[in-house]
Amino acid sequence: MQRSEKAQRVVDAFKNATKMRQVTLSLAGCAHCGMCNESCHYYLSTGDPKMTPTYKADQIRKLYKKHNDWLGRIAPWWNGGGDLQTDEDLEELKDIVYGSCTMCRRCTVNCPFGIDKALIMRMARGLLTAEGVAPEGVLHVMKDQWEIGNQMGVTDEDYLETLEWLEEEVADELPDFKVPIDKEGCEIVYVINPREVKYAPQSLMAAFKIFHLAGASWTMPSKGWDNTNFGLFSGDNKLGGHMGKLAFDQALKLGVKKMVISECGHGYRSTKWESPNWAGANPLPFEIESFLETMVDYVNQGKIVLDPTKNPGRVTYHDPCNLSRSAGITEEPRFLLKRSCMDFQEMYPNRQDSFCCTGGGGAMSMAEYAKRRIEVARVKADQIRATDAKSVATACHNCEDGLADLIKKYEINIPVHNVCVYVADACVIEDEQKKAMTIMSEDLKAKKILVIDDEPDVVKYLSTFLTDQGFEVITAADGSEGLAKARQEKPDLITLDITMPGKSGVDVFTELRKDPDVGDIPVCIVTGVVDFRKLMYYREVPPPEGYIEKPIDTDVLMLTARRLLEMGH
Amino acid sequence: MDLFGNTVFLEWSQLGSTTRLLMNQLHYGALAFMVLAYSFRVWQLFKMTPIKEGTPARGDHKKAIRYSYMLLAMPWEMESTRKHWGRWFEFAFFHVAMALGIATAFTMPIAHELMRHQIVVYGLQATFALAALIGVSRLLRRLGSPAMRAISHPDDYFCLLLLTAWMASGLLAVPQMHEPSLLAFFGLATFFLVYVPFSKISHYIYWFFLRYHTGKHFGHRAVYPKKSVPDTAA
Repeated sequence: MQRSEKAQRVVDAFKNATKMRQVTLSLAGCAHCGMCNESCHYYLSTGDPKMTPTYKADQIRKLYKKHNDWLGRIAPWWNGGGDLQTDEDLEELKDIVYGSCTMCRRCTVNCPFGIDKALIMRMARGLLTAEGVAPEGVLHVMKDQWEIGNQMGVTDEDYLETLEWLEEEVADELPDFKVPIDKEGCEIVYVINPREVKYAPQSLMAAFKIFHLAGASWTMPSKGWDNTNFGLFSGDNKLGGHMGKLAFDQALKLGVKKMVISECGHGYRSTKWESPNWAGANPLPFEIESFLETMVDYVNQGKIVLDPTKNPGRVTYHDPCNLSRSAGITEEPRFLLKRSCMDFQEMYPNRQDSFCCTGGGGAMSMAEYAKRRIEVARVKADQIRATDAKSVATACHNCEDGLADLIKKYEINIPVHNVCVYVADACVIEDEQKKAMTIMSEDLKAKKILVIDDEPDVVKYLSTFLTDQGFEVITAADGSEGLAKARQEKPDLITLDITMPGKSGVDVFTELRKDPDVGDIPVCIVTGVVDFRKLMYYREVPPPEGYIEKPIDTDVLMLTARRLLEMGH
Repeated sequence: MDLFGNTVFLEWSQLGSTTRLLMNQLHYGALAFMVLAYSFRVWQLFKMTPIKEGTPARGDHKKAIRYSYMLLAMPWEMESTRKHWGRWFEFAFFHVAMALGIATAFTMPIAHELMRHQIVVYGLQATFALAALIGVSRLLRRLGSPAMRAISHPDDYFCLLLLTAWMASGLLAVPQMHEPSLLAFFGLATFFLVYVPFSKISHYIYWFFLRYHTGKHFGHRAVYPKKSVPDTAA
C-alpha cells in the first residue's frame, strides 16, 4: 500500500527526529512494565486500556520499531512495529497526541526508566502540526502568535487601552498608581498571559497592586508582552523561538535586569527554560523569574506586609504541571499562601505528584476534546473535594480555566484564583483609601444591557443586580428572542448563556457577529458549561469580549461589565 | 544435596560433547556477540545529538543524576513503586536473579567444584525458584490485565517466558546432577545472549542513559531530587 503524501512526510520527519538521543532513548527504552499506568488521569478516570501512557506512546513508538529497530525492521509484528499509511492514520494519531495526553509528565516521574512520554508526544505533535493535522483551535492560536504576536489576537491598541483602564481601576484603591509602559532602565519587565488583558484582569490588577506596594522598579512592554507559547504545545520549535525572541528583544531594548513572568505554568516553562534554547538566545543578559519568586522576595524583604485574616476561608493549592514537574517551582506558592490565608490545606498528592488540571498541553483550545477532558477530570475533582476547601489557588491561567470547568461539572462550586490574587487581598495598605468596586460614573449608568438566558432565576438575579447598579436592563428567555431584541434595542452590552433550548448561545453569538448592525456589540458569555471555549479559540467569528462563570461572582461581573462598557473590549 | 534431596553429582568428564561445547565455547561466543552488538548500539547512541539545556541551572545536576540512578533502590520516592511494594520487590528480585543466573553460567564451567558447595547450591536454587515463580506471576499479570495486554507484544511475552524457563532450568541445573538440565540451562543462556540485543531485554542498557539524561534535565530545573511528601494527609 502506497503511503499518502502527508503520511510519507510525517514518516520522513520522524526518522529525522530520532537523531535526537533523548527521543530515541524514550522510544527504545520502554520495557512495557506498566508501572506508569496508574499515573495517568486519562486511564485512572476511564479505566480504558488504550489510555495508559505506554499504549499512547506505543502508537508513535511503533514507527520506531518498524523503521529503526533491528528486529522490528524484519519482523515488526513481533515487537509492535507499525506504520502510518493514510491521512486517516494521521487523524487517529492526532486524537492520541492532542486529545488523550496533556503532556503533564506525571508518567515520566513515575517511570522506573524516566522515559519522557511528553517528549515523544510533543515530537509527534510537531510532525503532525507541520502537516496541518492539529486541532483547529491550536492552529488558530499559532497563527495569531505568528502574525499578531500573542495567542488571543489582542491588538496593540486594545492591549494599551486595557492597561490604561486597569490603571484607573487600581487607582481607585491606590490613588497614585501608574502602569509604566516601555520605561527604560527599570529592574523588572513584566510579561503576561493574554487571558489577563482579554478576559480575566483580576490577576493583573493584583500584580499591579503588589508591584506598587513593594515600590518596585518595573515596566510593561508595549510589544512582546505575551509570555505564553503555543510552540510548546504544538511541537513547533520555530514558533517557540519566535515568541521567546519577541519578549527577549523587548527586555533587551528596555535594558531591564529581570524579566518577570506572570503566573502561567507553560508561559514560565517556555520563557525561562525552552525559548532561550529554541531562539538560540543563550546566554541572556537578564534573569527570568516567576512572579511567585518575585512576591516571595518582596515578603522576605519586608516590601509587602501580609495579613492572612483578610483571607479567612480554607484555601488549597493546585500545582501546575509545568511549574512542578518541568520548572521546579513548588515551595514558593505555599510560602505565599501560608502567609496570605488563615487556613491553607494541602491537596494530596501534590508537588511533583500532583494530577493535571486536565487543561494542560493546550487542551483548553481543543474544543473537540472538551467532553473527554471533563470526563477524565474526575481524579482532580476528587482531590479538590477531599480538601474541603472554600477556594482553590493555582499559579497558571490554563489551570484556572481547567479547574473552573471541572469544578462546575463535578458540582464542587468553589472559586479558583491565581496565588497573586490572595497575596494582593492580604496586602496591608497604609492609610487605606479603598473605594467600593461598584462605584460607577454617571455615563455608565445610562447604558443598556441585554440579558439572554433561559433560566428564569438567572435572568431575575442578573436583571435585579444590574438594575440596582443603575443600568437599564432588558431580558430575553431564549436565543431567538435574544437575537430579535439585540437587533431592535441595540444594547451596549449583551450577556449570553450558552446552553439554551432551541437556538444555542453559540448559534446566537455567531449570528450576532455576522450581522453588521449588531456585530460590534460587546458580548459577555455567562455560562456553566465548557463548550463556549470553542468561541474563544476557533475564531470563525471574532471571539467574545468577556466571559464569566456560573455561579456568578458579582465583583467579577461588575469588573467585566465596566471594562466592556467603557472600552468595548 | 540439593533442594530436592538429590545427592549424586555428575562427573564433569562424563558430559556429552554438545553440553561441553555449549558450556565451554558457544555461550562465550554468544557473550562476545552480545558485547559486540551492544558496543555498536552504544556507539550509535553517542553519535546522536543530545538535547542540551543552554539556560543557567536552577538546581544541582550532579546531585540530581545520583538521585535519578538511586531511584531504583528508593521505592518510596516514586508513587508507582510506593503504591506497589510487591511489584517493586518482584522487579528487584527478578533482576538480581538474572544477574546471578548470568554469573552462574560463566562460573560453573570454570569452577564447578566450588559451585557444588551446599550453601551455594541451596542459595542459587532458592533464588532461581523464586525468580521462576515471579516470572509466572508477571506473565499471568500481563495476560490477565486488559491494560497490560494492550501494551504487550509477542516479544514481551516471549522474553518473559524465556527468562522464566531459564530460571526454572537453572533451578534444576545448579546441583550439576542431570545432564539434560545443564543442556537446557546453557542452551537457553546461549540463545538468550544472542537474542537479547534484538529484544526488549535491551532496556537495561538504555536504563543507564535514560536515568542519566532524566537526572540531568530535572536537576537543571531543580525538579530532582523530588521534594519528599506523603501521599495522604497525616
